[in-house]
Amino acid sequence: MLNQNAKTVGGARCPGIYSPLVDLLRECGWRIEQMPCPELTFGGLNRFWAVREQYDTTAYRRHVRRIAIAVAGAIEVHLKQGREVVLVGVEGSPSSGVSITSSDPRRAGRPEWPEGSDELVLGEGIYIEELRKELAGRGISDIRCVGITHQLPDHDQRAERVRLERIFTP
Amino acid sequence: MTLRDRRSFRVALVADRYLNPRARGLDVIPILLEAGWGVIQLPADVYPSEVSKPLLEQVAEQTEEFHRHGYDVVVIGRRDGLKEALSAAGLPRFDQVDPPNARDLHAFLGRRPSPKAKLSPKRTARSATVNKA
Repeated sequence: MLNQNAKTVGGARCPGIYSPLVDLLRECGWRIEQMPCPELTFGGLNRFWAVREQYDTTAYRRHVRRIAIAVAGAIEVHLKQGREVVLVGVEGSPSSGVSITSSDPRRAGRPEWPEGSDELVLGEGIYIEELRKELAGRGISDIRCVGITHQLPDHDQRAERVRLERIFTP
Repeated sequence: MTLRDRRSFRVALVADRYLNPRARGLDVIPILLEAGWGVIQLPADVYPSEVSKPLLEQVAEQTEEFHRHGYDVVVIGRRDGLKEALSAAGLPRFDQVDPPNARDLHAFLGRRPSPKAKLSPKRTARSATVNKA
């Protein structure tokens, strides 16, 4: 959201800040707290596009748990101060998807696959899953979570704004 | 797909007070948006050290990846513990600014050199070369 440079090569929709969501959050009076991109610090800037199965390893879960612990600590501070917190994920992401992630159990080896192959499935990404677990371990289970859809093929910016307004308008 | 990527190769580590400014505080988001900079947010000053330290480690690990690949990195504002976290990740001191106003930030960003990083053109033909030396 704040740094498109963290995206997998080919996925940066704008030079730096993805403004539609940032603008809406600020119009509605929300503070912004950025979560780290877990894939950036694991696979690096030259990582391939990947699906959930490729990241679902012991090592990657250990990596995202370390991030989840850091982020959950910050969330806990805000909740203790009586603030409302909403998690914003990225739909379609193998790590940060909230209700849509990407999956293809056959994807392996040389990174080529048929154009238009459909990897989007209902489900959470691995980082969001681990963050929820970490929050639950701290007794935080009722946190709202929403995903932005800008990287999905049927993304409709106007419809997304309406959906997000319902969530973020006080 | 590679050719549609619109990244800027410019990343600013930004103090929380410039991203979530108080009334009449300097708001850097419109400036960074216009100038095409991505943001890594520094932890808010209200966090105790046991919360901010692991967040700063994450900042440093992300920054290391961008720096190693030749992205331009700058620091806007200050954050206790940042220097130590960057140093622990083997990173140099980045150019830093504490902008008193929007004009000074515009001027600072306008003086930045072009980033060394760029996208490689996508290879379209399959070929192999063998180094026979």
